[in-house]
Amino acid sequence: MAGNKKANQRGASRREFLKTATAGVGAMVGVPGAAEAFDFETFLQNHFRELSEDELKDVLQRLERKYSKKYRKTVSIDATGPIDGVVYGYGLDISRCIGCRRCVYGCVEENNQSRDPEIHWIRVLEFEREKVLRGINLEDGNPYYDHEQVPAEGKIYLPVACQHCEDSPCTNVCPTGATWTEPDGIVVIDYDWCIGCRYCMASCPYGARHFNWKEPEIPADEINPDMHIIGNRPRPKGVVEKCSFCIQRVRKGRYPACVEVCPVGARKFGNLLDPNSEIRYLLENKRTFVLKAELNTRPKFFYFYG
Amino acid sequence: MKTLRPFWDFTAGSVAVVSRGNRYYYAWIALLVLLSLGGLAAWGNQFVNGLITSNMRDQVSWGFYIGNFAFLVGVAAAAVVLVIPAYVYQWGPLKEVVMLAELVSLAAIIMCIFFVTVDLGRPQLFWHLMPALGNPNFPYSLLVWDILVLTSYWAISYFIVTYLLFKDYMGQKYNVNFIMPVIFLSIPLAISIHTVTAFLFMGLKARPFWDTAILAPRFLSSAFSSGPALVLIVLQIMRRVGSISIPNKALFKIAEFLAYAMAINLFFLGVEVFSEFYSPTQHAVHARLHWFGLDGRTDIAIYTWLSLACNVIAFVIFAVRPLRYKLPLLSAGCVLAFGGVFIEKGLGLLLPGMTPDMLGEIYIYNPSLNELAVGVGVWSAGALFFTLMAKVAMAISAGELRHRGT
Amino acid sequence: MSPEPSEEDKPSAPSYEVATWAVIGAVVVGVLALFSVRCSLAPGTGRDYASRSLPPEPAPVLLPAPEIDDEYMPCSDCHEKGDPINREVRELEDEHDEMDFGHGDLWCLDCHDAGKQEMLRRSGGELVELEDSWRLCTQCHGKKLADWRAGVHGKRTGHWWGPKEYRTCVVCHDPHSPPFKPIEPMPVPKRPEEITLEASAAKEIPHGGE
Repeated sequence: MAGNKKANQRGASRREFLKTATAGVGAMVGVPGAAEAFDFETFLQNHFRELSEDELKDVLQRLERKYSKKYRKTVSIDATGPIDGVVYGYGLDISRCIGCRRCVYGCVEENNQSRDPEIHWIRVLEFEREKVLRGINLEDGNPYYDHEQVPAEGKIYLPVACQHCEDSPCTNVCPTGATWTEPDGIVVIDYDWCIGCRYCMASCPYGARHFNWKEPEIPADEINPDMHIIGNRPRPKGVVEKCSFCIQRVRKGRYPACVEVCPVGARKFGNLLDPNSEIRYLLENKRTFVLKAELNTRPKFFYFYG
Repeated sequence: MKTLRPFWDFTAGSVAVVSRGNRYYYAWIALLVLLSLGGLAAWGNQFVNGLITSNMRDQVSWGFYIGNFAFLVGVAAAAVVLVIPAYVYQWGPLKEVVMLAELVSLAAIIMCIFFVTVDLGRPQLFWHLMPALGNPNFPYSLLVWDILVLTSYWAISYFIVTYLLFKDYMGQKYNVNFIMPVIFLSIPLAISIHTVTAFLFMGLKARPFWDTAILAPRFLSSAFSSGPALVLIVLQIMRRVGSISIPNKALFKIAEFLAYAMAINLFFLGVEVFSEFYSPTQHAVHARLHWFGLDGRTDIAIYTWLSLACNVIAFVIFAVRPLRYKLPLLSAGCVLAFGGVFIEKGLGLLLPGMTPDMLGEIYIYNPSLNELAVGVGVWSAGALFFTLMAKVAMAISAGELRHRGT
Repeated sequence: MSPEPSEEDKPSAPSYEVATWAVIGAVVVGVLALFSVRCSLAPGTGRDYASRSLPPEPAPVLLPAPEIDDEYMPCSDCHEKGDPINREVRELEDEHDEMDFGHGDLWCLDCHDAGKQEMLRRSGGELVELEDSWRLCTQCHGKKLADWRAGVHGKRTGHWWGPKEYRTCVVCHDPHSPPFKPIEPMPVPKRPEEITLEASAAKEIPHGGE
């Protein structure tokens, strides 16, 4: 990459220019309500990939102060980088999934998703077993099942979230480059750079991306204070968000929250480049499939029959 | 620069021209300003509360705004393509027709840019799209290409119009060897703006309703069926309120062109229908929703059939000579064509593409009041731009606005 | 304004036209170059990260089996050494009758030793402690043994690379009736129609489950 120094210089001169140019705009935008939301520093913040080490530290500290104050809890936001020689893969055993949705809500808590309006990164679809015998037609999937107990008679369950595709349509179409694939395979979003055009949402074949249609609300006592800047830090209004493979956990070697909370052990996770990993075992020994394979997105999320 | 002082006079003169008018003019301007302000207020509401004020949700994440945008890029392109015969083939009419068509095109482009802006979740961060300042994802993202061609096309069109008007204002002949290359550049740019917009939809392999090669030609054919229709109406209004004369011959020529355009538009529609229904795959569910509705929800289907009826009736009016030569009927046909294509390219393109969503869910989207208010505001702003520019153009071409030389 | 060149323009025609085309060409190339100059942030790249690796990971830890209900322990409270053994396959009526039984065609003495009741008995006669009950399961469910050791069957918690725990069979499967019992699902997600500004204002939306 062209070195952070160059980026820093470009960034500095850009900031100077913008500061002058937006001084007038800043006054105009100082309407009631928007005034409190208009943060000059955030407005001029550089793209995550171009931040120098110092700038990144500033950003992290500013966000930590902001969220600690907002949620009355000391939060820590880091920017842990990828581990060498690691590309993450995910396995989901659809012969085990019982559709209990504990992964959905575990994810909500771990990743500080908005409770109001409700945002779920994982969507569990319920299918009639007989219909599925002729191949999965997603039309027949129902995410709004409401039974006393699961699994319901004659039904199978298919949870869907971001597939972290190798050839992801979303990273291709983002006009500002706010979403990209990290070296360890995770497709991430710089929430401060996204302009909310929702082209990525139009392009995602799996409905994995979700938009903050209004200011997200998270109860202060339910905030997860261990955050990652391109992972589970609380998002602003008007940006797109999605599963980040629990980047705040996996880059420290931990399982994602959904893997840990699943009561039946249907979820598997590991390093695709490690021949001894769980994920490689299941890829080699189990019948696996991916969703919408004909679209050539090459997901790193594999469904299998345990 | 010796053109600087006269240019300021030109600007001052233009402002003077648009501030004068009869009471209908003032009423019209007042109405447009009012509606535009209403739209601005609605957008303010959206800006403060978030896009939840619209009826778009995760399942249908693009709706009314992008639908209008897709429709208007076509109008912008088509209005100017009418101009090709005038410039390239040195065909008869009249500078007024050419000028007004260019102005319609400009107004449409401004509306396009506005519609994209109001659709953004964080429009204040538009600078992220600028080269050098931001990080435009060029050449991968088609939205960046779209912005590039839209802005360039607007800039070039505006330059051409200003140059021609200014030269007229100065009483000088324009330099054809200077302006012709620029005009020649604007023509492929005009085609490119809606081809790139079509590519924007076509490039999404996730959306089978849009992932079809015929989408780009359909954009062209529907643009040519609606843009000139609008120009035809505008010309009639302009010759009524402005001091210009446009012979009916010119209008009927445009109508003839519309007949061919609508014929091709209907043909392409038929081709798509065959493709979807003769051997339907699972993907045909989008077309089924489009034409017949799903699960008893026929909202979209009703609009589709309405649009088809409008287009067919318009085609008959354009194609059948005795009908075409009756001006009131022709105007009605134009309104039908414009409305029909608006439904077809507006919601008729967006909604079946997005419904059912990627996980098979059906969420029936209808624009909310706030969205409609913003939409009306943008259309009014466009009409306002057009009115002001046209007033200046008419004044100059009628000789009312001239530079009093030194 | 019909596009006919006037007389005085003709002599200067070629150079003016060429110049205009040249300028247009330069502008087009310039704009495209300007947009491309920031291509360094192409979609498939990350920051300039420092090299990082994690320390070697320890072996996975098998969590102990759950404590067995006091009600039945110790077995010697009721069973005495030397009691007669009834090997007839039957449904128990006096004791051990309230449990859910449904494990294929198996009955008590297929797993429990008749003489030493706190021990389990493999089919070859080997006696196994209760906490090593997995050694009985895997007599028949051999494929599951491989999957379980590899981490692909059963719940694992902890680190994908680092200390992790896995569980013995009886943590999830009641050996007397192994199929998973249905459980109550967590709340239904909101439909898009239910997500409105008014609904948020009314604050009727719950926070999500545990």
